[in-house]
Amino acid sequence: MWWVIPLAILAVLVLVAIFYVNKISVLSNRIDNAWSQIDVQLKKRVDLVPNLVETVKGYMAHEKDALRMVTEARKSMMGASDLKSRMKAEGELTRALKTILALSENYPRLKANENFMLLQEQLEGIENRVAYARQFYNDSVLSFNNTITTLPGKWFAGLVGKSSPKEYFEIGEEERKPVEVKF
Amino acid sequence: MEKVSFFDEIEKNRRNSIILASVVFLVLTSLVYVMAYSFVPEFSIFLLAFAVVFVTIYIYGTYNYGDSIVLSSVGAREVNENDKEYVHLFDVVDGLSIAAGIPRPKVYVIESDEMNAFATGKDAEHASIAVTTGLLEGLKRDELEGVIGHELSHIANYDIRFATLVAVMVGLIAILSDIMLRGWRFRTGEEREEKGGAGLLILIGLLLAIFSPLLVRLVQFAISRKREFLADASSAKLTRYPEGLASALEKIMKVNEGNMKVNEAVSHLFFVDPNKSSLDILYATHPPIKERIKLLRAM
Repeated sequence: MWWVIPLAILAVLVLVAIFYVNKISVLSNRIDNAWSQIDVQLKKRVDLVPNLVETVKGYMAHEKDALRMVTEARKSMMGASDLKSRMKAEGELTRALKTILALSENYPRLKANENFMLLQEQLEGIENRVAYARQFYNDSVLSFNNTITTLPGKWFAGLVGKSSPKEYFEIGEEERKPVEVKF
Repeated sequence: MEKVSFFDEIEKNRRNSIILASVVFLVLTSLVYVMAYSFVPEFSIFLLAFAVVFVTIYIYGTYNYGDSIVLSSVGAREVNENDKEYVHLFDVVDGLSIAAGIPRPKVYVIESDEMNAFATGKDAEHASIAVTTGLLEGLKRDELEGVIGHELSHIANYDIRFATLVAVMVGLIAILSDIMLRGWRFRTGEEREEKGGAGLLILIGLLLAIFSPLLVRLVQFAISRKREFLADASSAKLTRYPEGLASALEKIMKVNEGNMKVNEAVSHLFFVDPNKSSLDILYATHPPIKERIKLLRAM
């Protein structure tokens, strides 16, 4: 009966391995899901941009720079394919939109425009959702990274080729700065 | 901040739901059997089979439609996200659902000046959240976020499934026990003595009838109080702002009079106790609001 003991140990090891491999893959899938949540919101926002530019153009024709900034940010947003460049473009677009909204303070007629008010409300709603989606993304990355960098998860992460920690969705340096408004 | 992990809680709730369903199954079928045996012994086996089928359907129905029963019993009406009046509410629910990593639940509104809210459903994919009009009018955005975050945590960790099962199953056990007690009292002394052997069964039946509602009440209070603290903490994790929920609770404590008059069986689902309880603290389905505020402020 001596063989029972190594067999039992082997069985336990296999079970532990299955548990961790599954956990790692669930957590990694959650990150992908979290990213797609952000993406959905970002797409919605990108879709609002042409409409916003169209509405704003008539009122703040002199603010060419700001308008160009938004249009360009939108372009680079749509062109960005990998995660990193999308994050960067997202930051640019956020900043550009903030500038437009801040500038709109100087145009009372624009502020009273119903279409603009609606757009502003939608943008704020999306902004809020993006913030939460980003929070969920970072939470998911944190629990994934915690699992694959601590023992015994670390041993099994290599098995499934997921041993490198994922990157957080950081808020860019530029985004942290308050929006500059030139008069 | 630690990881957002509802896994352990989901597992616990899954286990509790199975235990509850099994206990309810056993209690109900044995109640029916005892009733049948004491009144019409010749048909008791037939009635037992009938009871098994009926109780199985009942539990299945409770599992799948419990949320609709609860929602209609408190007069909640579903609202549409395109409704201008509720843009704000949908904004909050949407954002926090994303943060919790669950699909957005259906949103209901209850006409009431009381400030309250609850969530129900069988899982995160089939969940609903209901808020009173009083809550929408009386709270600021960050306070509303705190309350919604609390309810979404109940959804994300599957508290809603267990709590809804308790709510709907309690109803029937209580009713059946009532019927049984009444039936037994109508029997005359002579009849009871004739069936000497049934005496023990009648006694058990009587005990069941008296204790089953009490037992369920005990289950009810044992689950919800701990759950509320946990949901408060998870809400703070979602909103990253415990003070919002704390100040919402403070407002609610001042404004609510506890006269929502909802059925006792569903009261434990609510954010704060909807009925002013005349019962002592042992039966309270909710922890004292002051204690919740204290814990939130200490975070």
